[in-house]
Amino acid sequence: MRSFQIILIISLFIGTCVGWISAEEKTSAIHPLQFVVPKGWPQPVYDFKQNPLTQEGFQLGRKLFYDGKLSKDGNFPCASCHQQFAAFATYDHNLSHGFNNSFTKRNAPPLFNLAWQKEFMWDGGINHLDLQPLAPMTDTNEMAENIDNVIAKLKADTTYRRMFKAAFGDNNINTQRLTKALSQFIVMMVSATSKYDRVMRGEDTFNLPQRLGYDIFKRKCASCHSEPLFTDFSYRNGGLTADDFLNDCGRMKITHNINDSLKFKVPTLRNAEVTFPYGHDGRFYSLLDVMNHYRQGIINSNTTDSLLKKGISLSNFEIGQLKAFIYTLTDSAFLNDSRFAPPGFENRTQRPPLQHLHASVQGLQSAAH
Amino acid sequence: MLKKYCYFLCLISFTNINVDAQHKLLICFKNIAGNQPLQKDSMYKNEFGELFTVHVFKYYISNIVLQSENKTEQFSDEYFLIDDADSSSKKIELNTNLNHITSLKFLLGIDSVKNVSGVQTGSLDPAKGMFWVWNTGYVMAKLEGKSASANTPQHAFSYHVGGYKQNENTSREISFKFLSGVDCSNKNCTITISADVLKWFNAINEIRISETPFCHEPGSLATKLADNYAQMFNIVKVE
Repeated sequence: MRSFQIILIISLFIGTCVGWISAEEKTSAIHPLQFVVPKGWPQPVYDFKQNPLTQEGFQLGRKLFYDGKLSKDGNFPCASCHQQFAAFATYDHNLSHGFNNSFTKRNAPPLFNLAWQKEFMWDGGINHLDLQPLAPMTDTNEMAENIDNVIAKLKADTTYRRMFKAAFGDNNINTQRLTKALSQFIVMMVSATSKYDRVMRGEDTFNLPQRLGYDIFKRKCASCHSEPLFTDFSYRNGGLTADDFLNDCGRMKITHNINDSLKFKVPTLRNAEVTFPYGHDGRFYSLLDVMNHYRQGIINSNTTDSLLKKGISLSNFEIGQLKAFIYTLTDSAFLNDSRFAPPGFENRTQRPPLQHLHASVQGLQSAAH
Repeated sequence: MLKKYCYFLCLISFTNINVDAQHKLLICFKNIAGNQPLQKDSMYKNEFGELFTVHVFKYYISNIVLQSENKTEQFSDEYFLIDDADSSSKKIELNTNLNHITSLKFLLGIDSVKNVSGVQTGSLDPAKGMFWVWNTGYVMAKLEGKSASANTPQHAFSYHVGGYKQNENTSREISFKFLSGVDCSNKNCTITISADVLKWFNAINEIRISETPFCHEPGSLATKLADNYAQMFNIVKVE
């Protein structure tokens, strides 16, 4: 018993020393990063306790997001389909390009306000933000790589070894840390500084068409595109038919419930100005196409949303005003936020490629007419 | 901080005192096909007369519970991937304080909590290939092989069985009672459990390779296979 006491005292002493040292290391090495919930918004659903945000984790995630190493041939980083100037959707593409001249099967969603999202993809098949990157990384028509190869490439890179150590405390590189770092980067993408947000905070005012558009929006759109996230995250059939090549039945693929046929997640309207084309397969090139669909293109089937069965009545004037309102959801501060730019490009404004810029100018002009 | 360490160390020290009372329990899995041992590329026949070979046979074992007359031990955060191709994976070593084990329970598969908690490490790492990324969730068990009865490219059949949601759950609770008990008081003991691949085809439901050579998503075929594989275990030996 006596020897036990001595051992206890000695081990207590050692334990305290170790505790002291590791506590010192922690405070000196890792810089916590704060996630700010915009005023009046709901609490995020992402569990930050399981993945505490740090400067080091964020910077690692940012490097990974822009690194082709995550793809099979090095050409397809996350950012190849998720471009900042398109609010992290693919600019001016109905479907995105993937490995070996392939196309994706659906329109790339924009990335922002993901901390409030429970399920991911157009069909909600992915149940956690940390898991999301694994789908494009391994899909043969996207990044086409396997997880083991990605981990091996990262382990062979001294910069990554250093950055993983800085973010997580040691050199170990595994799937969990890879995806947690990516989550730290993308979860920080919050779009809440558009003109609409300034108006809601009382710092700005709508002009007449915007104000009229907001009234129309509240009457005719807000039941699905609910504020402040401009989606209620439900799955609905917006009166579509399946594309006869893609044959995409949407949510039914996940639930195996025939009542979910052709249902897709309600997309957010934030930054819609730069996320064209629209719809799960990008079939609507412009906002006008979307609104024309709602007023005269609805296909009634068993699963068509009850709110849309008769279409939405919209006059040409109302469409113009609605567009004026939707453009107030463009968050230029977010689109140009240097924190989300590729590492080393902080001070250079990213722009769409020239020919695309031209298309966008045309789009805006036709919108004005 | 110091206080926390005191408690922690006291705890560790006291468990150390008990070290003598602890012993090892080994649970060994022996994969078979009927009355033959499972071997890669050997030919087997299911009850419908379909000849087949097996290339991949993997399953998760988790949530192990040991019971004696008056005590229960839970190994709730330990997940084991039994891979027929990796002999070391077929031995699960547990430290137990129970002297007389009267029952053994485990889950074949992964509980729903771990299916909705993001990316895990170790045997649950999605890189192990036992995870679906497009309709997220674990593949609880996998059986792949070839059969002339399979009307598929290269006559391959593959059953990837997963699904954790209500009505689609494919994890199955397996339990064994030891009537005379397993005496572990003075020794390390071993429980050997066989896993019979033939049961996948015919136990509760009839699954013919000629009719359904593939299962790659949650749903009714997956749950039928799960009802079958729930019957595949047997205690072979206790020593």
